Amino acid sequence: MWTVATYVLKKRLTGQKRYPLVLMLEPLFRCNLACAGCGKVQYPAHILKKQLTPEQCFAAVEECGAPMVSLPGGEPLLHPQIVEIVAGLVARKKYVYLCTNALLLKKRLPEFTPSKYLTFSVHLDGQREHHDMSVCREGGYDIAVEGIQEAVKAGFRVTTNATFFDGADPQSVRGFFDEVMGMGVEGIVLSPGYSYEKAPDQNKFMGRARSRRLFRAILSNRKRSWKFNMSPLFLEFLMGDRHYECTPWGSPAYNIFGWQRPCYLLQDGYTSTYQELIDTTRWEEYGAASGNPKCANCMVSCGYEPTAVMDGFGSLKGLLGMVRGTFRLYPDEQAKRMLDEPDHGMAIPAPARALEETKV
Amino acid sequence: MTASAAKYTLEQIESLELAPAADHRNLEGWVPAIANDADLRNALEKAFDYRGDVTLTLKSGERIEAFIFNRLTGETLAASRVEYFTPSAPEKRSVSYAEIARVEFTGKDRAAGKQWEDWVRKYNERKAAGEKGIALTPEALD
Repeated sequence: MWTVATYVLKKRLTGQKRYPLVLMLEPLFRCNLACAGCGKVQYPAHILKKQLTPEQCFAAVEECGAPMVSLPGGEPLLHPQIVEIVAGLVARKKYVYLCTNALLLKKRLPEFTPSKYLTFSVHLDGQREHHDMSVCREGGYDIAVEGIQEAVKAGFRVTTNATFFDGADPQSVRGFFDEVMGMGVEGIVLSPGYSYEKAPDQNKFMGRARSRRLFRAILSNRKRSWKFNMSPLFLEFLMGDRHYECTPWGSPAYNIFGWQRPCYLLQDGYTSTYQELIDTTRWEEYGAASGNPKCANCMVSCGYEPTAVMDGFGSLKGLLGMVRGTFRLYPDEQAKRMLDEPDHGMAIPAPARALEETKV
Repeated sequence: MTASAAKYTLEQIESLELAPAADHRNLEGWVPAIANDADLRNALEKAFDYRGDVTLTLKSGERIEAFIFNRLTGETLAASRVEYFTPSAPEKRSVSYAEIARVEFTGKDRAAGKQWEDWVRKYNERKAAGEKGIALTPEALD
């Protein structure tokens, strides 16, 4: 936290308007799961066989200068040089979040060295039955949990990360939080799903109103035992307590195609350099305020958590909000009722109005 | 965004119950008719969005099987180009729009048939048949 706080303050003091917090470094798109509806890995075989070299990874990290590096994919543990990549990032004192489905975690764990800079962020979408359905693999939950337990026992930092889609049961999600905290993880990461343009399914993604209700039901009336590895202000944004605008340059993405424009989620093209991404992207065309339909449902952490972090470390008010949010349990009677109602308050009202055609 | 994209107001965005869906028509096998510059631009934009390989035929007669991952558009076709990977070369390549005569959507749409409902239906069928360890497995890469 101290590293991020000083980084943000330095950027503000030097008047830098756009700067990255987390580099989303995708070393490959290949995956050992075949999740139905996945929008990240729908590529021909020759693309799935490609991967970034360690040198390309280090160059991207040096180029953008973000203090944190997230390694999603695909499945990073399928990369034959992932140990070298992680070691190189740790040597550069970058906080590395290796995002894994943990199918190979137990097997590959001895190749890694515990470090305060390295966290395994294990994909777990919910309780056993829910997770197994979500990743289309019976037994997937048990393998992931075994990997988590081995990693915790070996002294690694471990978090879980969950994505929630339409139909998620908030009561079950809260039970899931109890389970993962019982595994000894450092914290929980969560996010609503994003409607990737390349996803086969286009009807499973919640709009903002539904997302806010779901997260209000889940995150109100918290238990003291729950720890979140996320900005408390971002969680308040998910619950509908705060309005934030997207900061797409806060989590720039780099992969075999180059620097992804404008963000980790949207693929509106690529640039060869980070500076070109920053200088030539029409940022005003993205985020909720732009009205861009591709950004309409997005409340995802890669765009909105940087905003929350910059808010938290950018003013005394933000800092106080963050401190308060860290310790609050958010008592909320209405949210309790949402848990008890059979449809969890998720009834769909008629749309307010039709789409507006607007000339840009 | 395109020049006349359908935009939302903030109020509409905040009240959305479900995300607006992207339009995925089945383009596999499609060979767009290209009569003018606009047709070519449109075909290459679709090729950029396509979740599989396409085959480009250049005016020189050369045919290129490619996964198009980027397009850089300018005022003229000569000032516009697509960037792509081919199955046989490790490096990124690019070609000017002005050199392209024909676009064919020859590769498999890699997301087609992978809907959530299909998985749930298959799962229930296999479960009912007494199967254990039910899973979807990634397609072989070779």
